[in-house]
Amino acid sequence: MTNNEIADAVVIGTGAGGAPLLARLAMAGLKVVALEAGKFWKATDDFATDERAQDFLFWNDERLSAGNDPIAFGRNNSGTGVGGSTLHYTAYTPRLQPDDLRLRTDFGVGEDWPLGYHRDIEPYYDELEQFLGVSGPAPYPWGPSRKKAYRYGPLPVNGAGRLMEKGCRELGIHTSPAANAALSAPQFQEGFGWRSACTNRGFCQAGCNNGAKASMDVTFIPLAIQHGAEVRAECFVTHFERDSRGRITAVVYQQNGQEKRQRCQNVFLCAGAVETPRLLLMNDLANSSGQVGRNLMAHTALQIWGEFDEETIPWRGIPGAVISEDTHRPEDPDFVGGYLLQSIGVMPVTYASQMARGRGLWGPSLHDAMNRYRHVAGINILGDCLPYGHNYLELSDEKDGRGFPKPRVHFSMGENEERLTSHANQIMRAVWDAAGAKNVWAFPRNAHVIGTARMGTDREQAVVNPNGRSFDIPNLYISDNSTFPSALSVNPALTIMALSLRTADQFL
Amino acid sequence: MENPILSGSVVDLINSDRVTPATRSALLERLNKPAVTNPQFFSEAEFIRLQLVCNQLVPQPKGDSIDIAGLIDDRLANQKTDGWRYDDLPNDGDAYRLFLTGINQTAEALYDHSFDTIIAKQREAVLLAAQQGEATGPAWQMLPADRFFGELLAEVVEVYYSHPMVQERIGYTGMADLMV
Repeated sequence: MTNNEIADAVVIGTGAGGAPLLARLAMAGLKVVALEAGKFWKATDDFATDERAQDFLFWNDERLSAGNDPIAFGRNNSGTGVGGSTLHYTAYTPRLQPDDLRLRTDFGVGEDWPLGYHRDIEPYYDELEQFLGVSGPAPYPWGPSRKKAYRYGPLPVNGAGRLMEKGCRELGIHTSPAANAALSAPQFQEGFGWRSACTNRGFCQAGCNNGAKASMDVTFIPLAIQHGAEVRAECFVTHFERDSRGRITAVVYQQNGQEKRQRCQNVFLCAGAVETPRLLLMNDLANSSGQVGRNLMAHTALQIWGEFDEETIPWRGIPGAVISEDTHRPEDPDFVGGYLLQSIGVMPVTYASQMARGRGLWGPSLHDAMNRYRHVAGINILGDCLPYGHNYLELSDEKDGRGFPKPRVHFSMGENEERLTSHANQIMRAVWDAAGAKNVWAFPRNAHVIGTARMGTDREQAVVNPNGRSFDIPNLYISDNSTFPSALSVNPALTIMALSLRTADQFL
Repeated sequence: MENPILSGSVVDLINSDRVTPATRSALLERLNKPAVTNPQFFSEAEFIRLQLVCNQLVPQPKGDSIDIAGLIDDRLANQKTDGWRYDDLPNDGDAYRLFLTGINQTAEALYDHSFDTIIAKQREAVLLAAQQGEATGPAWQMLPADRFFGELLAEVVEVYYSHPMVQERIGYTGMADLMV
């Protein structure tokens, strides 16, 4: 398509929010163009099995992190390249549970979602788990019973997973092999070809090189292209042209140092919970509610590490092999919401870096600890987070390399997050003690930025309606984690994809 | 002189068919990268001091010479960032320079000598004071010492443990893919 032709839709961003709807719209016969800031990689040729060599998967333009619990970006909470953050997600794909959608109803704080589980979300989970080729247990022990089993059996349980099973068994906590969007058997993918089964090389967070992991570049993107979508890589969107009624008529972007514009009927903004509000704030767009950048949340994600007598080979196998959702709604909690428990493997550079930040080890004590790397295993949580007035994203006065304001992200845990994390800290330490861990230590962290352009039914309180459509600009839609009204007690990727498909269906 | 780094069995592994061409290329480039002798970002004096800091944080076995300071100089000269920084820290380059000035001021306050000339035990004490946010010297008014120390340590450690020979020493063989 030429830039002067009028696209039916321009999709900004090709991650979990953009790629599914790009394919859906293309399959409906629409002329669609995706603009992606990063490159179009060829995983087999470009992805080294080496952490440092894979730094290019992360959004490395500088962001400023403020507050009492500043959020790390780069390898956390960001992604770039066709496929977005799914290029380096761990492929952990639990479903949300229905009560995740009604925090305010159940607890009197936080927000309810304007969506129903069985009507609006479950059908898309059913579709996605089959399409992506999610590997998981049958039955899955938590949440509503599912209409279809996972497409494939679970991936092998690795060292950390076996230890979590052992520790939890001692304490009477139920565990299960987790659902992961990585293949335990080969699968044919329309537009791509055969994806290999996972070889358990454990490198999900630095890019999968054989198509086993269901990142968007081997699933929805090739499907979209097969059906006529055009994907333009290395295009950084800067602003929009609008008509006298305020509708967007063209998307303006930079490619190879040149400014270009693509005329269009509709825009789907899917750039993630940092770049989406940043672009809107830079253009003073879609913000009559004043909520763009507000309600920023980040999952409570404390990690507990320990060393074991036996070798764990922490780099082997799908990183999040074992799950428990027994803590989804703990009995007699002193906090709102809940969390899931997850075993975690880890790559050596990431582990060394976390020991530097988390334990401050250097000199001989660092060498000693790293010499026991083959005996290390971790367990972590993924828990809810409430929205607060003090947590938000704004534009700073500092300019980035392109001359645009760097975003500043304020984040401080509230009392609820402190209490939830403290509860989880006790349980995880008990599990690791029961499993035989020594030299146990905690790495505090918050993962996944969420909620900076929330959906709702009240245009004074929300940026988009339940279908993802802007209240202010009728041909602008948002589809990514920025629209989540609450953080959820599960990893967000599968739900982002579900909402993406739903937004496309509602649009069509 | 033979480079001891190239004598490890990890080199055999890298050159075997258990390693993909993309991985081999990345690791051989790292192994063969010449050490930086003319720093592009730091001054000569700053660079030598940074090398002293790196040696203290990650002491290297005799014969090893992994060029940690050189890779930090490369990154800063090319204005690369890791995607974020603490809002209360200056930009990475200024922060490094302030840190190197600050530890010198602390060394002079404690020992009446430059950081560059004190003995290793004293350097360790200066760095520990910085890590604990208890270092003295005017530079620390502009740089929260403890927070930046964490950032510096993380970068040093990431560079060091990215080296294939170091990875071999800790028993990591994950650069090899199982072929199917």
